[in-house]
Amino acid sequence: MTAAGTAPEGTAPLVDLRGLGKVYPTRTGDVTALTGVDLQIADGEFVAVVGPSGCGKTTLLKILAGLEQHTAGHGTLHGTDLGRPSGDAGMVFQKATLLPWLDVLANVLLPVTLDHRATAADREKALGLLRMVGLEDFATKRPGELSGGMQQRVAICRALVHDPSLLLMDEPFGALDAMTRDALNVEVNRVWRETHKTAVLITHSIPEAVFLAERVVVMSPRPGRVVDEVAIPFGTVRTPDLMGTPEFGALSARIRRHFEVKAA
Amino acid sequence: MTAATPLLAQRRLRPTRRPGAGAGGRGQLVGGLALLAALLLAWQLLPPALGTPTYVVPVLSDVLAALVDPAALPRYLEHGAATMTEVLLGLGIGVVLGLGLALALAQLPRVYAVVFPYVVAIESIPKVAVAPLFVIWFGFGLPSKVVVVVLLAFFPVLVNAIHGLRSVDRDQLDLFRVNGATPWQIRVRLMLPAALPQIFSGLELGVANAMIGAIVAEFVGAQKGLGVLILQAQGRMETPAVFALLIILSALGIALNVLVRTLRRVVISWEPRPGR
Repeated sequence: MTAAGTAPEGTAPLVDLRGLGKVYPTRTGDVTALTGVDLQIADGEFVAVVGPSGCGKTTLLKILAGLEQHTAGHGTLHGTDLGRPSGDAGMVFQKATLLPWLDVLANVLLPVTLDHRATAADREKALGLLRMVGLEDFATKRPGELSGGMQQRVAICRALVHDPSLLLMDEPFGALDAMTRDALNVEVNRVWRETHKTAVLITHSIPEAVFLAERVVVMSPRPGRVVDEVAIPFGTVRTPDLMGTPEFGALSARIRRHFEVKAA
Repeated sequence: MTAATPLLAQRRLRPTRRPGAGAGGRGQLVGGLALLAALLLAWQLLPPALGTPTYVVPVLSDVLAALVDPAALPRYLEHGAATMTEVLLGLGIGVVLGLGLALALAQLPRVYAVVFPYVVAIESIPKVAVAPLFVIWFGFGLPSKVVVVVLLAFFPVLVNAIHGLRSVDRDQLDLFRVNGATPWQIRVRLMLPAALPQIFSGLELGVANAMIGAIVAEFVGAQKGLGVLILQAQGRMETPAVFALLIILSALGIALNVLVRTLRRVVISWEPRPGR
């Protein structure tokens, strides 16, 4: 597995979506959430998906997670058809979504304990992840004793504990204040580098997408489809000063232009 | 590599106790005791001052005398035990039935849709009104009382538990599903703990209802119980004894309520304490 970077042409992608579409039946008629989505994601790649509210980006993520079924086209993860939870994806929600009756360690171990009784190795792995995000001293605390940013970092550990191929994040820091958010973005970059995961980040923050991703996928308003893909050539190590560079500004502006046209 | 982390890790650990809650609590305690003393004093002094006859409102000292009367104590104990047997037995059966049905209905949405309107309809009936019928069906002994208590305790537990079980957070459900949880795991490890606060709210209502059910059932027809003693004292116009029995009933009700709330604090240890 390569640590990061787009896989060479010809290698089978980890995620392969072709002509993917999703139609919801509603009482007032069908609603097309996604249409003709073509997207390939290489093993180890970090892809951000940006788009206006209601463009179906959360639907796309839930299809990748196997929580929702597409209604057109087809999609595979690791060569296996999507459609049901594969157990090979870790998910981070907008809220931390920790279980208040479990302590931090048990929360991190949840994906493991839903499958089998946690072994000493599992616990060691969970504690290692908590150490990576600086929360090893909080393993026996209840989620209610942690700040919002700390809770969200626990949620990231939980998404990684069963060593899934795919890390799915749905606007994970949208509910946090700007400073916590910036610090967590630095941390997500580090976690991604250290764990060599394939990551898909849904966000409506263009700077966040450019800061974290190797490739930003721009989606149109409903019905959502991919209107642009922007490669972000900043390497794998991202630091906050990156955001002040002209290149960062130019890439952000290029992505933002897609939304300004719609607003005019 | 850990350069970015400690800054965030150390800050904003929420205090588990509110600062100043102790001092405020003490102030409230003093105020509460002062109010109690004033009320008791008024009870002792006001009826004679207003010329109220003793058989209408007895003074506090008469009520206390009736309460600690050594001759009455064995009766209080015997009949109190009878009432508490009805309450606890009925409560136990009602809670098990209510919780069991709630768990079943929460898992079977189609059955729920058919059954729930009936539950709501029965819940809005004043159920104590059927107590005379139960005396016909089950006689003057323990069973008819227990059945009334079961009926009264069952519904608040059922309705609250169903509501709690069905209002599980969508993201938490997605979290379990994305990790391949079985329906059984979702039921036991997500829905049940998430519903515990509501289940306990139902239990608190059930306890209050159970006391009402037992007393009303005893009024309707019984040989034993504090309700029977109240009727007897009323028949003899022994108003101080009626008040004494009301105090005993209140104490038992409060004790049960405190028991349930203590249990709640132990079981739902993650629940923040209600703020003052």
